[in-house]
Amino acid sequence: MSIDVKPETPVTAARIPVGRTRGIGVIMLVIGLFTALVFGVGSGFSAHSSLTFNPVSLTNAPWRVGTLTLLTAWSNVVLGLAIVALGVDVLARLPRRGVMARFGVVAVLFFFALLLWAARTTGPSQINFVNLTAVLIGSSALAMVLVFGSLSGVMCERAGVVNIAIEGQFIGGAFVGSMVASTAHNFFLAAIVGALVGGALGLVLAFLSLRYLSDQIIVGVVLVTMLGSLSSYLNLQVFTPFPQYNTGNLAPNLPIPLLSKIPVIGPVFFDQTGFFYLMIVLVALVSFGLFKTRWGLRVRAVGEHPQAAASVGIKVIGVRYANVIMGGAIAGVGGVAFMASQGQFQPGYTSGLGYIALAALIFGRWRPSGAVVASVLFGLSVYLADNLQTYQVPVPTEILGMFPYVITIAVVSGLIGRVRPPAADGLPYKRD
Amino acid sequence: MRLELRGITKRFGTFTANHRIDLTVEPGQIHCLLGENGAGKSTLMNVIFGLLQPDEGEVLIDGVTTRFSNSGEAVRRGIGMVHQHFMLVPVFSVAENVVLGFEPTKSFDRLDHQRAREEIRSVSQAFNLEVDPDAIVEELPVGLQQRVEILKALSHDAELLILDEPTAVLTPQEIDALMAIMRSLAASGKSILFITHKLKEVKAIADVITVIRQGEVVGTAQASDSEAELASMMVGRDVNLTVTKASVTPGDEVLAITDLVVRDDRGLAAVNGVSLTVRAGEIVALAGVQGNGQTELVEAIAGMRHVESGTITVKGVDITNHTPRQVLDAGVGHVPEDRQLHGLVLSMSVADNLVLNTPRRAPFARHGSRNLAAVNENAEALVTRFDIRTTSTQALVSSLSGGNQQKVIVARELSRPLSLFVASQPTRGLDVGSIEYVHRQIVSQRDDGLGVLIVSSELDEVLALGDRIAVMHAGQISGVVDPSTSRETIGLLMTGAHVESADA
Repeated sequence: MSIDVKPETPVTAARIPVGRTRGIGVIMLVIGLFTALVFGVGSGFSAHSSLTFNPVSLTNAPWRVGTLTLLTAWSNVVLGLAIVALGVDVLARLPRRGVMARFGVVAVLFFFALLLWAARTTGPSQINFVNLTAVLIGSSALAMVLVFGSLSGVMCERAGVVNIAIEGQFIGGAFVGSMVASTAHNFFLAAIVGALVGGALGLVLAFLSLRYLSDQIIVGVVLVTMLGSLSSYLNLQVFTPFPQYNTGNLAPNLPIPLLSKIPVIGPVFFDQTGFFYLMIVLVALVSFGLFKTRWGLRVRAVGEHPQAAASVGIKVIGVRYANVIMGGAIAGVGGVAFMASQGQFQPGYTSGLGYIALAALIFGRWRPSGAVVASVLFGLSVYLADNLQTYQVPVPTEILGMFPYVITIAVVSGLIGRVRPPAADGLPYKRD
Repeated sequence: MRLELRGITKRFGTFTANHRIDLTVEPGQIHCLLGENGAGKSTLMNVIFGLLQPDEGEVLIDGVTTRFSNSGEAVRRGIGMVHQHFMLVPVFSVAENVVLGFEPTKSFDRLDHQRAREEIRSVSQAFNLEVDPDAIVEELPVGLQQRVEILKALSHDAELLILDEPTAVLTPQEIDALMAIMRSLAASGKSILFITHKLKEVKAIADVITVIRQGEVVGTAQASDSEAELASMMVGRDVNLTVTKASVTPGDEVLAITDLVVRDDRGLAAVNGVSLTVRAGEIVALAGVQGNGQTELVEAIAGMRHVESGTITVKGVDITNHTPRQVLDAGVGHVPEDRQLHGLVLSMSVADNLVLNTPRRAPFARHGSRNLAAVNENAEALVTRFDIRTTSTQALVSSLSGGNQQKVIVARELSRPLSLFVASQPTRGLDVGSIEYVHRQIVSQRDDGLGVLIVSSELDEVLALGDRIAVMHAGQISGVVDPSTSRETIGLLMTGAHVESADA
């Protein structure tokens, strides 16, 4: 005999309120119209913008391609209308999923229009071209660091521990990374030591929050503050008197034969440092591990419902320790990678990248793949904020620098799509 | 499996939760463990399941002394537990939940979803427990979620199944389904230990009944024993299970709800055109399966939820979309459904909780500063009058038992002049003694001329208390009937059927 239980209330999947989706559609429309009118019509119909594709550093130059000159106004009107079209599509169909992805596309189109506008011929600056490859290479270095950071966050938060200390792990990794790279001249060794330091900081976070059930956010913030001050002090005591321990640490590029010769794509993806390739391997590994393996199922169970995991014999505390330490190690390597993209350690030069990585983690919905997309977007916006001065744009660049945070607030508040952290994220677990 | 407990004693500090408990569950037997909340049932289960270690005594499985240092060992040894709060990961699929901890894998530690699905199908078929292995658990109704829990235990080859208060969250239909599952499992040779405080269920299903009280076995009973006998054994004194009420002629309307529409958190119309009146000196009991808009209706009355359209008046005064304070000032007393979330501030004392609704009013406050003497005096008086069992009025309200917490709320709400008293699930999770007490209070208030609106998903309670019974289904009132109406008719109304001539 089979017993049939009928659902008493209709099963409705969690949904984004229609009003919010509508709101984001309207925001897209506004951005699109702004792009078309200000960046397009506003730049005058005689203005030209040129795009170049050959990287500035020609050590491993790809096959050269020519310059593309566009009519600024019309290009941006087209870009603006494309954004408007995306907005209209969202408004007309009110899709349940993919709203954030669409918003990501809108952001990229907007940045592109902004660049064309900034570099127009009769613009405020003498520079009348955009080196697209240089922009992408520059942002990729930032995006890489953000990916390391948000992957670290994925590892920790999927197991239910919030790692606010990513910024501190960056700093720690960068400091020891510079020291090891300067003395041993070996970036592999530097990465390992960076991972050890990051992992040790992870252990401190895990110990305080798992053993003593301290507030994870507070422990994290304390770690960041401590690392910031400690590294400044040590910098003064060690690196200032002995600059030889903190110099010449630009990681060499390891071009992949042939692939690196492809214009634009080659220099951006296949003529990178070892850290970049390591990042890609890590993304694939974490993604595979979390969603395809037994290990990942257990980690996610611990992050969602630790009591349920414990009831089938999974050691919740053990899983959390392991993940927080591994996450810390990944962030530590990220710190070394950042140092190796700058050539040396400087106090405070991570300037909040660890927090932007956390934002990328949230924007990417606690998924490695999502974190990559968010990191690219945020990396681009941070890069542009830092570099648009050269175009003498009449907009404070700090406004662009706000982008990752504004987006994160919009995402967390549910304005764009709906994010749901692991259910037990940040909650202490106590065996009863 | 034959499970035997011999002289199990478990102490927490000076408190003895279990004292020399002997219990034997035979294969193929449904053994009911009956006891009030706080009698030590959960402690005993945790001892069996390896979550706690007994201080004395031993657990024997098939005659062999066994000791589990964690629940994983108990599961491997064939003990399955269906927890009151499901141990399921809501965002996982059924298959992922069932195999968690015992996952079939392929190379590189990859999960073998195919084998997991097959495993579930074979267990499902063997025990007639159909569930889609790929369904996401949180999208399943509660009854099916519980089935997943049972499936999980069975797939780990459980020979003994412990069900901890399994019916607390189920609809009447789901309870029937669960009973059928339990019977068929027992018939296939599984041992079942069924923990509950609900007498009806015990009588319906038990082969053997063990009653525990204050951590000790007070005796065994038969399913044929009367509910009154079982109740007095469980509570330790005679309990009056029926509510005695004198007939009262209702007075003027105190609550009038007209065409009310209220949306739930998802933006759906949870209350969809409800009209209802409550008169002075009558109890209107709102029946219905949970999730049919009762919660939202009460929240709207209490000023905790926005009213989309329609009106609510109390004694002719419109209180639609007023703030909770304005509603309180209009003379409405409210016992909320979730007493720990909306009824109490757990980290405050009993005395403070007793004045939560009138903190700024004389005599409890004067010129913006609190008058603690008056607060304490009020607390002493109410603790005595409402028989609240607490070590002191200054004790944290969180240290009280569920029944006494509820008494604090009832005492607070009834300690000022009211026109209307609204109580949502007033006895949920309470022991028999407290239920009796709360019911008596409600009836005596009604006798004093108060209009009372009770919301309950317990049909027994609705029938015992209501002078009129309104049944709610899918956001609408499907009928208002007399308490003499048969259970079957009310059950039909609960499914939305409009019964002819049901209106009283």
